[in-house]
Amino acid sequence: MPRRRIFNPLTELLAAALLVVLVLVINRWQFSLAVLVAVILPAVLLSGRPRRIGLTLTVVAAPLLLSSLVLHGLFFPEGTTVLAQWGFARMTVEGLEFAALMGLRMAVFAGALLTATMTASIPELVSTMTHRGWNRKLVFVIGSAVGLLPHVAARAHHILRAQQARGLVVGGGLRRFKALLMVSTPLVTGLLVDASERTHMLEARGFSSTVRRTSYLPDTDSAAQRAARWAMTGVVVVFSFLWLATGAAK
Amino acid sequence: MIALECISLAYDDNATALVDVTLAVHAGEQVQVVGPSGSGKTTLARLLAGRTGGDAGTAFRGALTLEGTRLEFGTGTDPRIDPAAWSSRVGYVAQGAWGQLSMMSSTVAEEIAFGPANRGMPAGQLRTTVRDIAAKLQLTDLLERDPRTLSGGQLQRTVIAAAIASEPQVLVLDEPFQGLDESATADVAAVLELLRAHGTGLVVCEPLLPRRLPVDARVLALFEGSAVFEGPPGDARGAGLRRYGVGLEGAPPRLSSAGRGPTPAARTASPTPAGAAGAASVTPARAAGVAGLTPARGRPAGDPPDRAPGLPESRPKGDALLVELECVSFTYPAQPDEAPAGIRSVDFSLERGEVVALLGSNGSGKSTVLQHLNGLLRPVSGVVRIDGRELGRRPTGKLAATVGYLFQNTDQQLFERTVLREVAYGPRAAGKKRGAAIGQAGDALAGVGLSGYASLHPYELSFVRRRLVALASMIATQPLLWVLDEPTAGLDDEGRNLIGELIRAHAATGGGVVLATHDVAFAEAVSDRTVTLAAGRVLPAAGSPASEAPPSQ
Amino acid sequence: MSSPLTLPLQRETSRPRRALILAGGALIAATYFYLVLAQPADLAGGGGSAASLICLFGFLGGGALLVGGILPTLTTSSLVVMPLGIALNIAIGQTAGSLGLQIYLDAIGTVLVAVLAGPAAGAATGALSNAIWGLFNPLALPFAAGAALIGLLAGTAAKYGAFRRIYLAPFAGLAVGAVGGLVAAPIAATMFGAAGTVGTNAIVAAFRAMGDSLLVAATKQGLTSDTLDKLVVFTLVALLVYALPGRARNQFPFVRRYRVLAGRAPTPVPGTSGE
Repeated sequence: MPRRRIFNPLTELLAAALLVVLVLVINRWQFSLAVLVAVILPAVLLSGRPRRIGLTLTVVAAPLLLSSLVLHGLFFPEGTTVLAQWGFARMTVEGLEFAALMGLRMAVFAGALLTATMTASIPELVSTMTHRGWNRKLVFVIGSAVGLLPHVAARAHHILRAQQARGLVVGGGLRRFKALLMVSTPLVTGLLVDASERTHMLEARGFSSTVRRTSYLPDTDSAAQRAARWAMTGVVVVFSFLWLATGAAK
Repeated sequence: MIALECISLAYDDNATALVDVTLAVHAGEQVQVVGPSGSGKTTLARLLAGRTGGDAGTAFRGALTLEGTRLEFGTGTDPRIDPAAWSSRVGYVAQGAWGQLSMMSSTVAEEIAFGPANRGMPAGQLRTTVRDIAAKLQLTDLLERDPRTLSGGQLQRTVIAAAIASEPQVLVLDEPFQGLDESATADVAAVLELLRAHGTGLVVCEPLLPRRLPVDARVLALFEGSAVFEGPPGDARGAGLRRYGVGLEGAPPRLSSAGRGPTPAARTASPTPAGAAGAASVTPARAAGVAGLTPARGRPAGDPPDRAPGLPESRPKGDALLVELECVSFTYPAQPDEAPAGIRSVDFSLERGEVVALLGSNGSGKSTVLQHLNGLLRPVSGVVRIDGRELGRRPTGKLAATVGYLFQNTDQQLFERTVLREVAYGPRAAGKKRGAAIGQAGDALAGVGLSGYASLHPYELSFVRRRLVALASMIATQPLLWVLDEPTAGLDDEGRNLIGELIRAHAATGGGVVLATHDVAFAEAVSDRTVTLAAGRVLPAAGSPASEAPPSQ
Repeated sequence: MSSPLTLPLQRETSRPRRALILAGGALIAATYFYLVLAQPADLAGGGGSAASLICLFGFLGGGALLVGGILPTLTTSSLVVMPLGIALNIAIGQTAGSLGLQIYLDAIGTVLVAVLAGPAAGAATGALSNAIWGLFNPLALPFAAGAALIGLLAGTAAKYGAFRRIYLAPFAGLAVGAVGGLVAAPIAATMFGAAGTVGTNAIVAAFRAMGDSLLVAATKQGLTSDTLDKLVVFTLVALLVYALPGRARNQFPFVRRYRVLAGRAPTPVPGTSGE
């Protein structure tokens, strides 16, 4: 199933971020739940890769949700309505409410942003930044870091195998520390040697030039989307001020 | 077009890298710079690429002339070369492709466009430029591929394409064929020939004198930073450059062990005298052993001592085969739009004292077979027995004392601060006491002729010596079986000879060696038999020489 | 001598945009003190709507201003190691996270860049690292300012010799970790109710059981695990940089200029910038 791509990644990321801001501003568990069910769930299902997003979301958010529940559900000294008590642990209504609020907030936070980033094409994002005239150094660091990630992982894997062939058995405790050093030293050395060559390559390829950088990839952004981004931001900012100023927040 | 007069070039640590070298390159001309590891090839290439500055940690005295502008260095204040302006006249392709990728391009096309985009070339023009270059370098089909997933030859062509995007008149390449198999080498060579036909001047640095060179090329041989020969390829071949450590590509290695008795092998810690490697001459039988000419089975007759097929006294254990692969199959996780890779129903065995070379093109399954020998890969079906014991689930790390494995990319394993500590790691991991481990490490270092380098940092050594350090760290653990992946890739003549020596010496004491290589001449010279793989299967090893030759590409 | 092939002898060094850096630093500091001193009363009661907003915008905005001020000053050689540090942070941090370690190890790349290329590059690496990690794990995003601080402090420690002896590095790590823990705690408490891994949660729960407020418990937890984490990270990085070949580390003007590492005579580097 192809990935869903409707808008420019910049627009989608901004929309996700603004959604998070709204949830923070309104700060009611009912609203968070509504956003989760009515916006994020459909977005994940329609994303074209619901399994992958669902899995990542579970890996990222589930442990936090669970630990939040245990932490605040059982240890909440501010709580007064005690439901049960085991030794130091007291289950309170206030604690459970707080856990639900925090849990929902984290779920929306992770869900909205992950859905946006995992459906967005990073090369397209980088190219949009170039087309919009962002600082080329910033674009390079972001693009290159994202590009290096799989390379670093693959290289670390190769090195681990090479060290195993020399007698490394990954164990626990201090031996794990040693294993980490045995893998990271050749990894970092190799990456630094590459980096030194890359420095010269960048200079030779005119990276220090001061003219505006262009991009090979076509600009998928549009004037309408740019206008929409400003409009969305404006609406959320105005709404937030009104909401907070009128004391609608608790 | 570009002229270099180098009076001297020295590094920070006072090591002089180049003395009295002059070189001029004109349009459509090819200069082949050859020399052993450490002879100054890379330094020369970098100078031509305009890297003269103190930030490179070098002090350069001399002059560079480009397009009629003469820049003098070492007399007062040095001019600062503008790397962007220089590279649009002199392109440079350094060794190793990864450092030359921006890593921010998701496709080959973006990588080629990286330079022009930095200079602000408008999008439309960018597309035509990329298209033209891709057509020239036969990269059109690869334009949408992720550069990180390319094969060696494709990657090298991508890097060349990115370097010529600014249409330089001269292109300098430092070991552009390193680690490439025969067909990839041919692809890259064809591209270079094409560029030259279009008028680009070429400077190509390589450790060995190539077999095929255009007749009008010029050869410049370097030795310890000085030019020892300059002239046409024909003269270069007859100039006796081997005394300067410059071998001829594709020539068999020179092994000096003929005539010596069963050598007290490296594993018994008093190894082959390394210095002897350079002195010996080519035995006639071996000289004939170029690809395809050798009888299919066994090595040339006439040098029984180092074949030592019997060696009853040094056989440690009964008659168990050292290696036995029974109907081993393995499949890699399928990649989209690629045929599933792996090996199918491979039977293979190795006796004690035997050297077997695996031949075949990239992707034929050589490395996959090798990685089954120490459990880096576990077969999907079939059985692997090492020294009579089934491999089963034993972790790779526990096998290191029995099976030594030398990876093609040596730099993926060196991690210690000194060469001695590096080499002592294996014995230590195998449970040896510190003193004993240091002793074994010292012996292994002596075996590869690096005793004098024990206290240096491994990365301060040249590429060839780093490879030898990796080999020594394998030897120090005293494994019975050696598994070598492309042991001669990128080596110079001396390093290649030495590794050949060590392999024979190991076999002479009853150890076994399996090596995968593209270097057919080397395989023919050191191995007892060769096994050819194609598409994950062993080609039938019939008696005919033809079946043993690698498939034509 | 002017020719199309050469550059002017005088290196033009781009001046740091001090206004941006100062504004960023001030914003981060103000946010921190607001969260700690004002201690929004409703923090543990109802989740503090304004507090979490201020936290998010103060720290993210401050981090962005810092990056904006620092980036133009960085030389290409500093710039090129930053993605490397970021990729290391994320790769090692993900691994440590998935192994369920008690420590995060997600600052190895930041500290490495800080030691090799200086505090400014370290700070930018830290901030951008969490921003990019946010693409895979959004929950890392709010900690960007804390990561920038770690990079800044690590680079400053390196500048004044904390890495000249391997045994000094753990102490520097301890100190930097304590500061890092102090800064990260209000973010964790305000944004996520101090929820973390099983290991960190147990510590927070223990302090909560003793009746501490969420912020205090999170701070105490930060002081414990962050100091331990940075101690390990600084030690690892020290071992790592000393295992590097001389040429790999001496390619960095910062290392040579401030004699960050022992064992090499200082080489004067004219007109360098981008520390």
